[in-house]
Amino acid sequence: MLAIDARDVTKTFRSGWLRRRETPALRGVSLAVPRGVIWGLLGPNGAGKTTLLSILATLLTPDSGTVTVLGHDVVREATALRRRLNMASGRPSFLWSLRVDEIVAFYGRLYGLSGERLRRRVDELLELCELAPFRRVQYSELSTGLKQRVALAKSLVNDPELLFLDEPTLGLDPDVSVRVRQHIARLRREHGMTIVLTTHYMREADELCDEIAFIKAGRILARGTPGELKRQIRLGEVVALRLDPLRVGWLADAPGILRCVEADGWVECTVDEAEKRLPELLRALHADGVVVRNVQVREPELEEVFVELAR
Amino acid sequence: MNLRGELLAVWAVTLRNALMGARNVFFFFELLFWPVVGVLSIGLMSKFLQLTPDQTSFVLVGTLALSVVNVCQLEVAYAVLLDVWSKSLKHQFLAPIGVRHLTIGSWLVGVARGFTVFVLLAVLGWWVFDFRVFDPGWRALAMFLLGCFLTAWVVGVAVCALITLFGNRAEAFAWASVNLVLVLAGIYYPVSVLPDSVALIARAIPLTYFLDAYRVHYGFPSEFHAPLATGLALSGLYAALAHWAFLAAIRRARRTGLLLKMSE
Repeated sequence: MLAIDARDVTKTFRSGWLRRRETPALRGVSLAVPRGVIWGLLGPNGAGKTTLLSILATLLTPDSGTVTVLGHDVVREATALRRRLNMASGRPSFLWSLRVDEIVAFYGRLYGLSGERLRRRVDELLELCELAPFRRVQYSELSTGLKQRVALAKSLVNDPELLFLDEPTLGLDPDVSVRVRQHIARLRREHGMTIVLTTHYMREADELCDEIAFIKAGRILARGTPGELKRQIRLGEVVALRLDPLRVGWLADAPGILRCVEADGWVECTVDEAEKRLPELLRALHADGVVVRNVQVREPELEEVFVELAR
Repeated sequence: MNLRGELLAVWAVTLRNALMGARNVFFFFELLFWPVVGVLSIGLMSKFLQLTPDQTSFVLVGTLALSVVNVCQLEVAYAVLLDVWSKSLKHQFLAPIGVRHLTIGSWLVGVARGFTVFVLLAVLGWWVFDFRVFDPGWRALAMFLLGCFLTAWVVGVAVCALITLFGNRAEAFAWASVNLVLVLAGIYYPVSVLPDSVALIARAIPLTYFLDAYRVHYGFPSEFHAPLATGLALSGLYAALAHWAFLAAIRRARRTGLLLKMSE
């Protein structure tokens, strides 16, 4: 069963009174997100990530195409849908004078919680997001990391079936980012929540997402599991070599070598069909009198896939 | 949404606005400083011009209406303004909240604040200028206040619609629009002194009729037939139009992306 089914979605922003300017943001995006997965949307700035997320979350209406989320049409059945989803942004903003518990309680009431149920839910979420010591602190006095945790707590107040996370770890300290990522993974594991996240951090997408789509200039260029994407782009594998001597003139031009870079005493070669090429390469190096002191083979980083696609 | 859900959503907005109001010095000035300055300056001017007690009551009724409507309509406008200032508009409209919850919730706080201003100014007017707001009787006073609060509702919701339609640029409407309405409604003078074309506009403003009905009790002849019924009918019509305009503005903001722009 699909959590999101979008077909041929287009959106163009129009601005200016006298001189009309049109900025196409989405150009025929289609996607299908199964329930219970963590689904990542990656792309450079201005690619259309936030526009797409906003349409799926009913904050923006598409110009054309059909979008069904949790079985509801995002335009015609938006009110019913809003009860079942929520969103947290990496650039959160809430009313400056409200305290942490008041913010979560305000949104809780909008979703129909009251009395003891509301109090219990607020307490649970503040514990979960490690905000309990800050419950009586006004929002304007919180650090960036704490504000993001408030956004996360607010986004869980209605126990959503579908959660949109727009760059959830943006600007967070590494240790906090790790905890947020663990928490996101736990939400899917323990609650079966479908999570759609946008991120600039490839490692985050690689670690968390079951499926990823790359969007650029309003079009989805590639999609699949992180592994599939790495294979789909045909980046080859990265073979890191510690050689003596370090520089070998012919290495970059050897058959099957896509590129070679030197870093920290290692030569990193991107090799097509590394499994087949590596023995030949090692033999050729040996024949040339080059001593191979260490060899490491790894898959390309998702970041490299992203760079390749964003070109 | 069932009735409990409806009431909860209204209560959420009421509580939020009340908490925000209680924690901001700026709101204190709106509630006390400007209304008190208004009544004192107009009252003292009446003394200087040696107006009769009835004439003094006439202008002080106008000052009272000005303060009450202003305070109440600003609170209704805060339904959107607070979220525009804090850039949290998208969170609000991501939740299952309707225009009715926002406006009724904010209006209730506005009524409470407007009533506080009214009591304060009534006591001040009686103490300093011997102006007695209760002389016309409780019923007349209740209708006068209802008229002020309904006018505030209409102006406040219209301001919300303008802000949602034009973004931060329309913020000035929140402070300017009510003054325009009040000048045309004849707060310090009878509508008959206005030029004919302007008087026509004045006749389209509900507050004109509520002021007229209340001033009758201070010895001034009514300029309209059935002013209270006309004021209530016009208020109902404008409230429906303003509600529709706000709904249409939100729909447009979702289409143009303004909702997102005002949140980042």
